[in-house]
Amino acid sequence: MSAYILPILFILLILYCIYKRINTYDTFVKGASGAIKLVFDIFPFIASIMIAVALLRASGITDWLTEILSPIFTALGVPPELTELVLLRPFTGSGSYALLEDVLSTYGADSYISRCACVIMGCSETIFYVATIYLSKTKVKRLFYAIPVALLCSIIGTILACLLCKVM
Amino acid sequence: MVYNTLSKKRQHYPSCYAMSFYLSLSIKISMNIFWLMMMLFSMLVLLITNPSAMLEEMIGASTSALSLVVELCAVYVVWLGFIELIDASGLAEKLAKLLRPLIKKIFKVDNEETQKLIALNLSANMLGVGNASTPLGIKAVSALDDHTGKANFAMIMLIVINATSIQLLPTTVIGLRASAGSSAPADIILPTLIVTVTTTVIGILLVHGIEKLRKKIKERKK
Repeated sequence: MSAYILPILFILLILYCIYKRINTYDTFVKGASGAIKLVFDIFPFIASIMIAVALLRASGITDWLTEILSPIFTALGVPPELTELVLLRPFTGSGSYALLEDVLSTYGADSYISRCACVIMGCSETIFYVATIYLSKTKVKRLFYAIPVALLCSIIGTILACLLCKVM
Repeated sequence: MVYNTLSKKRQHYPSCYAMSFYLSLSIKISMNIFWLMMMLFSMLVLLITNPSAMLEEMIGASTSALSLVVELCAVYVVWLGFIELIDASGLAEKLAKLLRPLIKKIFKVDNEETQKLIALNLSANMLGVGNASTPLGIKAVSALDDHTGKANFAMIMLIVINATSIQLLPTTVIGLRASAGSSAPADIILPTLIVTVTTTVIGILLVHGIEKLRKKIKERKK
């Protein structure tokens, strides 16, 4: 079902452009030409954050954090198997998707742990990545309280997700 | 009666100062410090455990960043092309008009072009196409930039709402579940929607609340 939504939206958009007599080819090229410049500008930011995350994982600090934090997570109702996923999610999108695939194949796609993991992935975001990339075109250095608030919200979301998966 | 309210006010003060102290602490957490701490701690640990891996890991990470960027470039060509069509056909304007009252209230932004970018960014986020929302988010934040070097209220709000983003269709996760052999891959839609709506509301309220508190503290300092 959900596989049809995006294709249908694309077709409707093209039809609407024809109705509005827009030169679709020229317009599409004009938009697409911005892609390389954009990617060129954000590359150093992506690389810097990925280097820091790689070192953090290679040094074993994430493993220690997982071990230290999993009792706290259990107390909050989050399965300890998901601690690493929850910890890495704010930093890396591809890394956390790899962890999710691990969870799905280890515990089965319909188990409680897998459903929790899926809802957690759906309701959280790679906060540090988004913050750095969004600000990459500006000279903003001070984020004030944006990241603490965003992290607090995703912790609340994680706890709520595990609660809801028990009921639903 | 008067005495009572006075003493209540006095009791209120210490907690207010503690709040302002805590707030100023969290304000100091900027990306610079955060990155530095991550690098320094892991480098110190690696120096003891596995010094030869350090350079290798860093170059490996930037290599995978490069391949990610190449992939993103291909994805952005498609999305930016379609976004231009949405913009040129006037659909973006219509969407922005629909969401304008809400955006005005939440972001306190008056510029129509910026409102349009925010509307598009949030809609892409809700549909679960994160790859389309990123270039829009970059444009929106650039439009909000006031060149003071500090993040303003609307920027912080945009980042927080993007982080908690309401998910109507968590497409990637559903796809992963389906390929892992789930019998009902889409049954996470409802819990995800409930959780994201709740956290988005909490996020908006928190940002508004903190902003009010900061204004009060500034006035007191004056």
